[in-house]
Amino acid sequence: MKGPWSTWGLRGTVTASFALGALIVSTLFAVGTYLTARHYLMDQRQATALRQAYADASFVLDGLLGRDARIPDVLTSVKPAADSELIVRKDDRWYSSSLARGPQSIPAEVQGGVVDGTVMYAWASSDDQPALVVGIPLLGAGAEFYEIVSTSELRSTLTTLATVLAAFAVLATLAGAGFGRLASRRLMAPLDDVATAAARIGAGGLQTRLPPTDDPDLATIVGSFNSMVEALDERIQRDARFAADLGHELRSPLTALVASVQVIERRRDELSPRTQRALNLVSSELDRFQQTLEDLLELGRLDAGVRSQVFSEVDAGELVRVSLEQSRHDPALLRVVTTDDGSATDLTVRVDKQQLGRALVNLFDNADRHAGGVRAVTVQRVRDRIRIDVDDRGDGVPEPDRERIFERFVRAGSRGSLPGSGLGLSIVAETAISLGGQVWCEDAPGGGARFSVELPVAPRQAPFEVQLADHAGAR
Amino acid sequence: MSLKLLVLEDDDGIRTALSLAMEDEGYDVVEAPSAEAALQLVQRNPPDLMLVDLMLGGMDGFSFIREVRPTSQAPIIVLSAKTDTHDIVAALEAGADDYVTKPFQVKEIGARLRALRRRAGVTVAAAGNPPTEQSTLTLDSERGPLVLDVGAGVVRRGGEEVHLTLTEFRLLCELASPAGRVLSRRSLLERVWERGYFGDERIVDVHVRRLRTKIEANPNAPQLVVTVRGQGYRLDLR
Repeated sequence: MKGPWSTWGLRGTVTASFALGALIVSTLFAVGTYLTARHYLMDQRQATALRQAYADASFVLDGLLGRDARIPDVLTSVKPAADSELIVRKDDRWYSSSLARGPQSIPAEVQGGVVDGTVMYAWASSDDQPALVVGIPLLGAGAEFYEIVSTSELRSTLTTLATVLAAFAVLATLAGAGFGRLASRRLMAPLDDVATAAARIGAGGLQTRLPPTDDPDLATIVGSFNSMVEALDERIQRDARFAADLGHELRSPLTALVASVQVIERRRDELSPRTQRALNLVSSELDRFQQTLEDLLELGRLDAGVRSQVFSEVDAGELVRVSLEQSRHDPALLRVVTTDDGSATDLTVRVDKQQLGRALVNLFDNADRHAGGVRAVTVQRVRDRIRIDVDDRGDGVPEPDRERIFERFVRAGSRGSLPGSGLGLSIVAETAISLGGQVWCEDAPGGGARFSVELPVAPRQAPFEVQLADHAGAR
Repeated sequence: MSLKLLVLEDDDGIRTALSLAMEDEGYDVVEAPSAEAALQLVQRNPPDLMLVDLMLGGMDGFSFIREVRPTSQAPIIVLSAKTDTHDIVAALEAGADDYVTKPFQVKEIGARLRALRRRAGVTVAAAGNPPTEQSTLTLDSERGPLVLDVGAGVVRRGGEEVHLTLTEFRLLCELASPAGRVLSRRSLLERVWERGYFGDERIVDVHVRRLRTKIEANPNAPQLVVTVRGQGYRLDLR
């Protein structure tokens, strides 16, 4: 979904669209309101001003028609409204009720019209003061009457109105953005659910399903998502079942074969040297076959997850020592790192000890097969992890192979090394991961390769279930 | 006289190979291809030890063990696939004494059988001697009383014999020597089953549970075989 919006994200796009919509609507509304109000208010003001001007004009006319009328006196006696000024022109002389206003305040077209004998008015702005200029010819007196009505009040009213409307437009835009945010969140919520579920499935939680929904718009995606996971789960289970079935099916004949060969082994002396050599071959190949099958079954168990693991709390140092002994290695190779003051460090791990023991033996075995044997084994506590380092006597593992060798059936071993199942190290890796730990390979400080297994320290005070159940009843 | 070993296994190949191997070990082997056939054999001629495959056509291994257990105290070793760890516990609950996972080494079965035989030997050896003062131990003086007679290889409540399997009896003997001492699961596993470091400690838990149902007044609130949290089990005399 590449597009101009892709950098914005769905949420941002929805929010921006809502804000833009709100902005357009509220601006149109504000401008419309302003124009209507302005038109109405100006009409009103104009009508008032005209009415007043006519009244004032007739008053002035009356004054001028009186005997010995002096124009300034007439103007003074009119007493126009506070915000208006009167100007009279007679015999090319100008008279004004205000010092500030004079003929320069009267627009030319108004004066022109009045001179021609028509009533004129116009909006004018003089000295930054908005005003309505009304011109009335006083035909009876041979004079021109002008009234300049200040409309600054109207202007400030309109300014206030414009400000308020603009503020509302801004608020409406912000509210639109807010609604957009909410709406996008509401829209995104199901997507978030899908993302969470997908992440959980990716992490192995194949039982995860999206909850059913009544929303007809979401029903499709929920339905197809769930059926996809269903199909995936089924497929994986079928594969796992196939591998397990294969293992089981191979196990029966193999068990019979191993037992029979052991019966023959007991009677080795009765065989000719040639047959003995053949028997040796059968025995060793059978061992390899059995080892590979057991490794495959072990990997299958690891794939199946914790369901088949039997956990107990064990001392990592002791586990390593016993594993060395059982695989016929010298237990003196083991070095347990204690704290500075030499006191015992808590090395308890919560593991399936058979599984971990097997993984350790695989590491020792790997060193024997490919790297001239185990040089040292170190067990130490690194903060809340237990680390087991197995150093060998080989030439180390080349950098590019260090991750690859933990994959199944990958053999990066040197020439002439004894063939293994090719599964040993992947069992080590998957065992460590299933126990919440990790494994890696690096150069050992003294030369050779170092394989490190790191496991979390067992949580304190985690008694067996049986113990918990019995404790209440114990005296 | 050699011990009689029943091999219950429906796979012809495994059964035949196993029989040959066990005859090499000196057992008098009786083969049974099905649980039904095995039940008849057990009734006609009770074996001293049994090797039982769990997955059988028809009646399965669990049912066979449950069927045979009330009357036979002969040690039973289950042949199981390791992938089904809950099957192992279920078989132990049903009354099996130990298990071996396929594909097994004949040597391992031999070792497991020898361990079970040694247990049987405790009672056989002591059976010849008359019970002495030291060989009886009163476990519970309030109810019964409940008496462990090491010499006769039995436990009696009020003179009546409590039916314990050989494994349960051996477990009780280990806990009783001496009573009041805490034994860890691992050391019980070593003493009774002769299993090493990597042995499955659930065997101990299951057998302790079974033992409790037979000797405790209330198996859910044990007063004789008590759990010492984080350490193991202890026998308290009452």
